[in-house]
Amino acid sequence: MMFEVIKAGLETAIQDWPGRIGYWNKGFPPSGPMDSWSFRLANLLVGNAPGVPGLECQFIGPTLRFLADGIIALTGGDMQAKLDDQPCPQWQSLAVQAGQVLTLSFAKTGARGYIAFAGGIDAPLLMGSRSTFHKAGVGGLDGYALKAGQSVAVLPGQGRPGRRVKDGARPTIRTDKRWEVEAVAGPNDDWIDAEGHARFLSADWKVSSKSDRTGFRLEGPQWTFTARAYNKLPEHGSEPANILDQGYPLGAINLAGQTPIILVNDGPSMGGFINPYTVPSCAFWKLAQARPGDVLNFKAVSVAEAQAQARALKQVCSEASIE
Amino acid sequence: MIYPQPKFSPGGDRYMLIEFGDEMNLDLNFKGQGLAAALADGPIDGVIETAPCFANILIHYEPEVIGYDDLKAEVSRLIEALGPSDDIEMDSRLFYFPTLYLDPWSKECIDDYRAKINPSKEQDPEFVARINGLTDVQQFVRVHSGTEYWAASLGFWPGLAFLMPLDPRCRLTAPKYNPPRTWTPQGTLSMGGMSTAIYPVASPGGYQLFGRTPVPIWDRERRFEEFEGDLCIFRPGDRLKFVPCSMEEYLEVERKVADGSYKYNIVDYQRFSVKNYKRWVSKLDLSVRF
Repeated sequence: MMFEVIKAGLETAIQDWPGRIGYWNKGFPPSGPMDSWSFRLANLLVGNAPGVPGLECQFIGPTLRFLADGIIALTGGDMQAKLDDQPCPQWQSLAVQAGQVLTLSFAKTGARGYIAFAGGIDAPLLMGSRSTFHKAGVGGLDGYALKAGQSVAVLPGQGRPGRRVKDGARPTIRTDKRWEVEAVAGPNDDWIDAEGHARFLSADWKVSSKSDRTGFRLEGPQWTFTARAYNKLPEHGSEPANILDQGYPLGAINLAGQTPIILVNDGPSMGGFINPYTVPSCAFWKLAQARPGDVLNFKAVSVAEAQAQARALKQVCSEASIE
Repeated sequence: MIYPQPKFSPGGDRYMLIEFGDEMNLDLNFKGQGLAAALADGPIDGVIETAPCFANILIHYEPEVIGYDDLKAEVSRLIEALGPSDDIEMDSRLFYFPTLYLDPWSKECIDDYRAKINPSKEQDPEFVARINGLTDVQQFVRVHSGTEYWAASLGFWPGLAFLMPLDPRCRLTAPKYNPPRTWTPQGTLSMGGMSTAIYPVASPGGYQLFGRTPVPIWDRERRFEEFEGDLCIFRPGDRLKFVPCSMEEYLEVERKVADGSYKYNIVDYQRFSVKNYKRWVSKLDLSVRF
């Protein structure tokens, strides 16, 4: 199977899951799909293992022409897909024929849509993954998001049409512009005072338009700090939120001065700002589908609760969710 | 301070941060790198990867294999078994990088910043020399190039190494630009806080600029065999020596890099012994600058 890119969309890139793991000590982010729930279900629908390479489409999806018959599935944000002139349903596997054109437009719900192809996209393996880290020109076909005119090869697959995601097994993409996002306190929660914690957990945090796969910038109230943020050695830096450079967990809510930035799939591995909270892996899909202007409300969860939710999500991202 | 006991903190459901102290102290970085090496040699089930930073180390783990409390207990035991940092010995490659100090490209970049953003910004080499009590920029070059540098941590951009001077007589500090620059040429040598860094690619930045190396530290086309299939040349625990060169030598190396014939100068047989290093440091007269 093979397809040709007619229009690339805003930033449509090859991703696999869990991505480029094992190079955090050199500063390589994992990349991979931000909404791995939708991504994994798309792969399962077309008979693939959950992690094989597919496409992540951001805000405005691509237009693709199929050069051979195959099986595909669309999940994630609703990009109003059409196959030739016919509306193309999400959350189920479909047969496509050579010559047919799949057109995705802007996301009507959510922000990121996923396309899986039975067999998975064929791209060169680079440092253990085929995921695209667009900003650094790493992975995918040529290091970058897809471009019009490119041909993309798909490996032979075993998929069949008509498989559906069971009701209740797909993520509920909010349409009221408001998301409850889990957050685990730490690693630097002791730099924030009690009022600062209360404010963080009660405030509306608006997703800034300056958000991307590197980080989600949030607009909201001011932060206040404990004595520790002021009584410190000069190597920590001059602002209260500065700390001696430290490793950043993926999902860290990184306080750049007064602006929290949630560090996501293509984010930095270290730096000199505190991370009072970390968004656990089970909530990344919500960030992926939140749009600029949407409001995030954070809910404190313990490490054990976050791990239990990750286990539950893994259960959902399995063959048991397909009918 | 150096913490009497390492401090463990969670980072979401899959990460643990271990802090050995809260000061810029190479000994704390040796502890982090020693722990990373020990975890690579004798893995704990469920540990996926580690990332040592200046005074701390981040552990990425699989919670389905090991829980936070069990991981904390196992890592504590390992840190205990490793003992004081004096016992740490690590393989450490040594790189020689030809470097043009006080080069025209970083000057152009500084002048552009002065023209467009902050006219009162002092030239970076003069500024760093002055605030560190050095006589002039020539002494700054002697001091900066008079030591091997230790790759304490990599990050911010893939392969960007934060380099610390191993010779305490060559320690310098510099504040970051405020506001930051909008552009910096690839290969520029720079300082922020106590660390030196080379810009892997042209990018915005905030470190003070004073030189440039034609040797790439980032190679997305994988043209050089010394990268061993990787896209970046450094790993934590490498050492780097900047070798001052002339403009002619700079351009010659740049030509060789462009046509792919450049050979990296890497010494790869030495082990770094913290005990030996500390013994050497203890004998130095720290009042002497170069």
